[in-house]
Amino acid sequence: MTEGKKEKFIVPIGPQHPALKEPGNFEFTVDGEIVTDAAVRLGFVHRGIEKACETRNYTQDLYLLERVCGICSHVHATAFVLGVEKLAGVQAPPRAEAIRVLAAELERIHSHLLWFGVAAHEAGFDTLFMYTWRDREVVMDILETLSGSRVHYSVNVLGGVKIDIDQKLSDLIKKDMDFLEERTEHYMKVVTTDETFLGRTRGIGTLSRDRAKLLGAVGPTARASGVKRDIRVNAPYSGYKEFPVKMVIDQTGDLEARFVVRLKELYESYRLIKVILEKIQPGDIVTRIKRKIPEGEVISRVEAPRGELFYYIKSNGTEMPDRVKVRTPSLCNWGTITDVAVGHKLADMPMLLAGIDPCFSCNDRMVEIRSDSQPSQIMDWDGLRKYGIEYYK
Amino acid sequence: METIKFLESGKLILEKWIESSQTPDENRLDIWISANNLKSVVQSLVENHWGYLVTITGLDIPAVYDQDNVEIQPGQLEALYHFANDAAIITIRVKVPYSKPQIDSICDLIPSATIYEREVIELFGFDLLNTPNTEKLILPDSWPDGVYPLRKSFTNLQDLEISKKEQSND
Amino acid sequence: MNTDSENFYTQIVNKLKNWARINSPWVIHFNSGSCNGCDIEILATLTPRYDVERLGIKLIGSPRHADVLIATGPVTLQALDRLIRVYEQMPDPKYVIAVGSCALSGGVFDGCYSVIGDLNKVIPVDVYIPGCPPRPEAIIYGVVQLLDSLRKGTKPSKFIVPNDIPDFILKEKINGND
Repeated sequence: MTEGKKEKFIVPIGPQHPALKEPGNFEFTVDGEIVTDAAVRLGFVHRGIEKACETRNYTQDLYLLERVCGICSHVHATAFVLGVEKLAGVQAPPRAEAIRVLAAELERIHSHLLWFGVAAHEAGFDTLFMYTWRDREVVMDILETLSGSRVHYSVNVLGGVKIDIDQKLSDLIKKDMDFLEERTEHYMKVVTTDETFLGRTRGIGTLSRDRAKLLGAVGPTARASGVKRDIRVNAPYSGYKEFPVKMVIDQTGDLEARFVVRLKELYESYRLIKVILEKIQPGDIVTRIKRKIPEGEVISRVEAPRGELFYYIKSNGTEMPDRVKVRTPSLCNWGTITDVAVGHKLADMPMLLAGIDPCFSCNDRMVEIRSDSQPSQIMDWDGLRKYGIEYYK
Repeated sequence: METIKFLESGKLILEKWIESSQTPDENRLDIWISANNLKSVVQSLVENHWGYLVTITGLDIPAVYDQDNVEIQPGQLEALYHFANDAAIITIRVKVPYSKPQIDSICDLIPSATIYEREVIELFGFDLLNTPNTEKLILPDSWPDGVYPLRKSFTNLQDLEISKKEQSND
Repeated sequence: MNTDSENFYTQIVNKLKNWARINSPWVIHFNSGSCNGCDIEILATLTPRYDVERLGIKLIGSPRHADVLIATGPVTLQALDRLIRVYEQMPDPKYVIAVGSCALSGGVFDGCYSVIGDLNKVIPVDVYIPGCPPRPEAIIYGVVQLLDSLRKGTKPSKFIVPNDIPDFILKEKINGND
């Protein structure tokens, strides 16, 4: 039996761009070309939010919880607000619920385009990265016109929303959705027909349905393996009861499927936004809610762009919650990476990581992949990415 | 409705271990069980393919004192295991005292539970027996041992330093 | 004891250094625990809409070649060591730009048990860019402020880059700082 060359790589990874250094480490053991071990250690973005929630009142918590993550801030706020409204026995008016869904779908679009640009960059398609982020600016402009801010839109208040849409904005959004649909056609073509891209995604990182279920995968990562988990369909909340979505499933389970699922979800989002703008009824956008929330416990689950977001809120009759528990989707999906990475080539690591769309701040954590051999080498993410691109030339 | 059927089937599966139960919402069922039945409960849910483990929440129930400052109820920790099947959620609740916070780990039944267990161990001080990994998950490496930030008695590290100094000065 | 010619020489060298640095500052970004909002806006400055590379600013991956450190996030306890190490690896003279309310004072996370807050408590900061998150234009403005002061040959005197303070109030602030 020959001993393969065992090396341990420590790769610092960034959240969105290799040149963006996030204090994170990716460690894996490599035997020649093949990865043989991987593990997870988190903690660099841990800020103690759950504890801080207990010493602030519900309105302050709304703004705090929005900032758990900059990319999916609206869904965090929505999950919290839905939970608190349930505890208080208050139902937000239908127009407010529709606007919440509108903002959630816009956020999904911006998040998927962001992710797609980053994934394209990982594969070496820098032009595609620039194109997708330029198209993403269209959505950022809509969000800014809608709410006044490009990130952290603060659309929600306890009891409803604080922004409204008029006919002019509605027409603008519809036009932009048509434009984005055209652009997404182009991206879909690249993902499904471009040979270089397919060489890096087809058949790689396959996760079977049973394995995905066992590992607890959620979101597009799970749906790409045929697992039917989508909170908007399984347990509709807020405006999704009035404006339902279709679940996008793929049975293949490889990297290409994860790309295809997210792009198809973009189409669903465009469709849903146009339907909402067509059918939204005039009315109030907020109802009154008392400052002291009655005692109780509530569970609130919403579908973030990355998967299922879970909130557990316990109130004790005062103005401040007793306990707020947040479980973010990326946490579940880390488990799938450490499982799938083993047996793959080192050159596949960047794409595999991009495939699960990790969100570090959502996790309050970072990734480190352990191994048990020394000595360790430090290869930076850029180096690993270039290595992957060169390998597949 | 499907959700109600799911809840009823779940309740039936776990009937023999239920100490008390509550339905705080139309799609939720809370079940209190004793700590030593946890593995059997989780095993029967897994064998019947009832949903998936969403997460494990920890709760701190501080000690209760009467007006003479005598402890009438010792401090407790509560672990909530949330299982979801579409829209139905069953929460398994286990209470353990501060003095003996031992609960069995469920990682051999559900491997992905290790992340949630690590989190709850370091933030609350649970002692989960046979859990495969007890390394710190989210707290920094420099965090002092034995300090559990999500317990009500913890405010922040500076206060902890001050109270330690006071104790050593006594 | 510096002779006149030595002083003159140092001045020339400094001017050259500054000139090179102004024309193409190499920037390294570090996230000390932020929610990624500020990081996305920094990344957006690279995209065609704002295109910061036309100003000669280059985002690089290694601290050993960097002139400017752009840091985001309230400094979390875990990120502390790494932050200090990155700062120490940068060669002199180096400058630090703190982006976002979190790097300014902790932002919404002020008081949390795992957070230090003000970046200045850890490393000396030259420019703060407030906002939650600040717009890409504000970030570019902050970086340009730094470059302007380099051109003058001094470290920037500490003043806060305003996001939307109207001009007449701004003039008062500048006069007050002189």
